[in-house]
Amino acid sequence: MALIDALLQGILMGLLFALVALGLNIIFGVMNIVNFAHGEFLMIGMYTTYWTSLLLDIDPLLTLPVAALVGVLLGIASYYSLIRYLLRGPAIAQLFGTFGLMLFLRYLAQFLFGIDYRIIQKGLLIGKSLSIGPFIFDWTKLAAGILSLFAFAFVYYFLNKTKTGKALQATSINKEAASYMGIKTDKMNAIAWAIGGGTVGIAGGLLANFYYIYPTIGILFVMIAFACVALGGFGSIKGVFFAGLLVGILEMVFPVFGSLVNSDFLGPHFKFTIVYLAYFIIVVFRPQGLFGWKN
Amino acid sequence: MKYRKTVLFFIVVFLSLLFLFPPLFAQEKEIRIGVLYPLSGAAATIGRDLQRAAELTAEIINNKTPGVDIPMAQWGGIPNLGGAKIKLIFADHRGEPDRGADLAKRLILDDKVVGLMGAYHSSVTKTVSAVAERHGIPMINDSSTSPELTKRGLKWFWRTTPHDDIFNKDLFELLKGLTEGKVKGVKAFPKDQLKNVAYACENTEWGSSVAKSIEGFAKEYGFNITKRILYNANSPDLTSEAKALVSVKPDVMLFASYLSDSLLMIRTLKGMKASTNFFWGQDAGFEMADFVKTLGTDTNGVLTRTVFIAKIAKVKKVAGQVNALYKKKYGDDLTGATARSVVGVQTWAYVLNKAGSTDPKAIQKACNEINIPANDLVMPWAGVKFDATGQNILGRGLIGQYQKTKEGMIDLEIIYPFELATANMIYPFPGWK
Repeated sequence: MALIDALLQGILMGLLFALVALGLNIIFGVMNIVNFAHGEFLMIGMYTTYWTSLLLDIDPLLTLPVAALVGVLLGIASYYSLIRYLLRGPAIAQLFGTFGLMLFLRYLAQFLFGIDYRIIQKGLLIGKSLSIGPFIFDWTKLAAGILSLFAFAFVYYFLNKTKTGKALQATSINKEAASYMGIKTDKMNAIAWAIGGGTVGIAGGLLANFYYIYPTIGILFVMIAFACVALGGFGSIKGVFFAGLLVGILEMVFPVFGSLVNSDFLGPHFKFTIVYLAYFIIVVFRPQGLFGWKN
Repeated sequence: MKYRKTVLFFIVVFLSLLFLFPPLFAQEKEIRIGVLYPLSGAAATIGRDLQRAAELTAEIINNKTPGVDIPMAQWGGIPNLGGAKIKLIFADHRGEPDRGADLAKRLILDDKVVGLMGAYHSSVTKTVSAVAERHGIPMINDSSTSPELTKRGLKWFWRTTPHDDIFNKDLFELLKGLTEGKVKGVKAFPKDQLKNVAYACENTEWGSSVAKSIEGFAKEYGFNITKRILYNANSPDLTSEAKALVSVKPDVMLFASYLSDSLLMIRTLKGMKASTNFFWGQDAGFEMADFVKTLGTDTNGVLTRTVFIAKIAKVKKVAGQVNALYKKKYGDDLTGATARSVVGVQTWAYVLNKAGSTDPKAIQKACNEINIPANDLVMPWAGVKFDATGQNILGRGLIGQYQKTKEGMIDLEIIYPFELATANMIYPFPGWK
């Protein structure tokens, strides 16, 4: 029973991890750029939800469109003001460029919002739990999991069923061939950054419902997101989805299992060791990741 | 013409001397002390508060401060060093031990500090004190509580705060007191209501030493530990840790957490409708101003060990006076951590005054002989006096409980020591409804 409970909780967290990692993977898939500032986008999504719900006195869940919009705008602004210029330089410039963006956004937040920890106190779901038989779910996490699923489905639909989405995929598979077909690479790149920013903005908004908000919060989640991207396969949407789930389930089930067999060695302090071990094994046997096709 | 040239010559000589040896002509001497705190990163909030408290104390020492009944408030500098002012040079270690060691080296070699203070995180204090030891520079530690720190036979390391063994003993005395009916406002409870103990401690130097110490005392006092959890304070999710804790239905939940993880842990436990009789945090995150500001009434009934509670002003005048200065300037009450920073800087001032010199050997001797009377301290301690290991033997801990007032605010009340109790204890822990 405890294991099933852990599995369900793991799935909820996993969906959120996957949503955080999704944007990272889309940007990488289309442009081959690792966005180090991704965690900071998440942090800005969290602050957006925090401030919008506080200042307008509305439920934090209703602020999700605002968080998404801010994320989209942030993505587009980053692309047009910085990334586009970095593309002209060597790969190392792109690495340092997004790293610089990360530091800039992090310390800008610290400057603007200070170093106090913040938590959203009021909200429809905050502090409420749902009991189903022996299982207790935190409503905020349940909502985060379900809404993450919707966001994922939406992005999946967009990429596979719309013309722009297909163009984006084409650019991702072969940039040059796509541009010969009349697809504007520059525009596609901007769209990738917009989706990347938008999805992580939503993830931040969802996370803010049950997590504390702090200028350097991004780093905690972006590490997991990197693992999800590498695990699922660079550029693969399906891959990042399952990798997120896998990470969520592993980090939740493993310590509960350890607790059941009463082993201190299998305690929670090793939970991410297992996650990275799984990553290591998959990378050794399938270097492109679970569903990856890019080298 | 010749006369003018001579004058010019002497002016040039004078100016170059001034340039070469500024201290010779400096109007006021200053004594530099390197202070290492986490000023950015996850612990930046506490670092900022510690820095504020240290700066305020230096101001009290450097300027004659009316309204504070501590002799040093009337000094206006260090008397035995010709009124020299204390200058604190802050360095940000971000909670990283290796960075702390680098900074300590830089402070000693480049900034030529006469001594060090800090570093809050026990793990950082460990590496910083090792650097101080190697260079023969005194370090006074104000706020790191891992017992191991003073068990290393260091000659240049002194600690003013009591350590976790002392605090954990207080905890078990309180638990024992509950079973014996010694706690204000609570009838005696049978021990089997409190027998089943579970703890979750963060897994660096500090948390793991707390865990070890809890194990020892549980055995000594006859309590049964049913769940032991060491966790990573920087983990993005603590659900599995909280699940594991709740799974054994503990009567007593004990924590050693920094701020971010304490917030996350309580939020997660609340989401699980966790319940227990006794909910205690080992200082750090649990007693910071931001803990209450962020969690609000969710903290009702939570116990924390500490060394300072603003209510101590009722029995200690100087505590109220210094607290009022701090509150006026920064808007918060002093906490256990920030009040220890006050004592840290104060100890430095007393030591320097006793040494009457900035020579490391003289400071070392002064540290070993210092005896600060209880009346001079903001703490409810018997004073500051170090034993051979460098540990202050006159310190003591408090246990406070967050209690919701009629107006819906949260007050931190003293529960232990029993004779200082300022309110009835809320028992059992009311939980989150």
